[in-house]
Amino acid sequence: MHLNKYSELVERLENEEFEQVELGADVYQQLLAIYLYQNKLADAKLLWMRVPGKLKEDKELMQLNLLNIALQNNNYADFFRNIKYEWSERVKSPVEDLLNKQREELFKLMGSAYVSIYQHNLLELSLMSEDELKHACAALNWTEELDGDRVILKPKVQEAPPTRGNDDQLLKLTEFVTFLEN
Amino acid sequence: MGSALENYVNQVRTLSASGSYRELAEELPESLSLLARNWSILDNVLETLDVQQHSLGVLYVLLAKLHSASTANPEPVQLIQLMRDFVQRNNNDQLRFAVCAFYETCHLFTEFVVQKNLSILGIRILSRAIDQIRQLDTQLTPIHADLCLLSLKAKNFSVVLPYLDADITDISTVAAECKTQQQQQSQHADANNDAKYFLLYFYYGGMIYTAVKNYERALYFFEVCITTPAMAMSHIMLEAYKKFLMVSLIVEGKIAYIPKNTQFIGRFMKPMANHYHDLVNVYANSSSEELRIIILKYSEAFTRDNNMGLAKQVATSLYKRNIQRLTKTFLTLSLSDVASRVQLSSAVEAERYILNMIKSGEIYASINQKDGMVLFKDNPEKYNSPEMFLNVQNNITHVLDQVRQINKMEEEIILNPMYVKKALGSQDDDLTSQHPKTFSGDPTD
Repeated sequence: MHLNKYSELVERLENEEFEQVELGADVYQQLLAIYLYQNKLADAKLLWMRVPGKLKEDKELMQLNLLNIALQNNNYADFFRNIKYEWSERVKSPVEDLLNKQREELFKLMGSAYVSIYQHNLLELSLMSEDELKHACAALNWTEELDGDRVILKPKVQEAPPTRGNDDQLLKLTEFVTFLEN
Repeated sequence: MGSALENYVNQVRTLSASGSYRELAEELPESLSLLARNWSILDNVLETLDVQQHSLGVLYVLLAKLHSASTANPEPVQLIQLMRDFVQRNNNDQLRFAVCAFYETCHLFTEFVVQKNLSILGIRILSRAIDQIRQLDTQLTPIHADLCLLSLKAKNFSVVLPYLDADITDISTVAAECKTQQQQQSQHADANNDAKYFLLYFYYGGMIYTAVKNYERALYFFEVCITTPAMAMSHIMLEAYKKFLMVSLIVEGKIAYIPKNTQFIGRFMKPMANHYHDLVNVYANSSSEELRIIILKYSEAFTRDNNMGLAKQVATSLYKRNIQRLTKTFLTLSLSDVASRVQLSSAVEAERYILNMIKSGEIYASINQKDGMVLFKDNPEKYNSPEMFLNVQNNITHVLDQVRQINKMEEEIILNPMYVKKALGSQDDDLTSQHPKTFSGDPTD
């Protein structure tokens, strides 16, 4: 899954916006969904600001904007709550990709930001069922502990894969040193 | 069609056919008022001219159409289409002879679409216009400011950002263009507006960067705007100065360094930006509570200046800065302690701030919900990843390019006859003026 998956579509939609008057809600819906998926939050915010007033009552567009606001504020609970919606065909695919990506990111962030977190807090943030969460945690090798009757999850620190320099990098550095010496 | 207009068409056709564009460009400005008077039949004139072959003729018809827009009230979409067609198909060689008229057309066009609330439709057109008329990719034209204005109005920055990202090395002004074309400056009242468009470009550019939260670059743009050498203070500079102060708080937490050559700031701008200086002083106390009170106190002034949103960003940045300060003193701290030290209302809110800051990489920490503690860590970057290498490499290339550019510009200046004359001349002056000086300082004289 890569970010330029929708680049052609975005280009077409942006062109439409630049050259036509009286756009329908569908253009804005698709653009907003894709910007959110691509994590272009500034673009998404500006897009919402320039949506004409009468289109702001479009239901799906409003729902997308709720996601937008949740992401702007880093509010995961709101995000996962609002993404449960009957999306139309046009935006279904980017929204699904967005959901998967945000889930992935949530766990990555929790893994790096927490030494321990109460299970009920994480359940609230991710809006997953207990079984789903157990499954996800098991996949990441997180361990569980009991604090009284509450479950505490202990994320496992992800080790970054070790990397080695290669000849190409060495060559570039040599070039730079030669420049400095001359 | 009136016979005067027929003359116009004939003139354009014959001179264009013989390739005497310079002559044509010199004569056309005189027909402008005639064209504007006959706005009702300009479409007939356009039908007889070809955009490609008679670019100059079409340009002046467009200019006349825009000049008369307030009385003629043309169909906006049609006029935009005309303009789009013109920038896409005109003959660049002909345009070179009427650069000033082209700038003026673009300014009027901008005014027109802004007025009609169709700014977004003008963005691509002006971007194409800039590409056509500028001689270097790093040349600043008066149209840049128009493009920025339209982008701000339309709240769409995808087109304008690449232009702003390019560092300017050369400036095209109406005054300079008139000189090269040996035209009377008085023909173009616009020549006085060169400074305005220059300042506006950097002011708007700073606003755009602020909107996309690229605060460092925004600060640079505002700095250019307020440090531009000037004889009198412009209100653009004053507004830029207000925003400069706010953005410096967000970026550096204090007033950013301002070069010494700007005597205006102390004398004129500071007294007119009182509220903002109060804000800076309060910010320095690191007390979020006091900052909140002062923002509330001056909220009317900030709202009037359209800076309220920025003021809120300043408030958020102080919370973040205070949390960052904690990481320098403590290794571990309870969440409720964090909340009381940075004056947040609760441990939950502190946790939310810390989580956001970890996500954006502003601090390195991990939260332990079991005992409600937060553990501050050092930057885990070991400078051994390929990404970091790529980053360093990009920076190196950027610096090398700049060194080359500076060398090139310095060479140009050294070889400039005017500079050589002046450099040598002032030495002579010094030599001759040394003698009288010793005498004039004599008190017995």
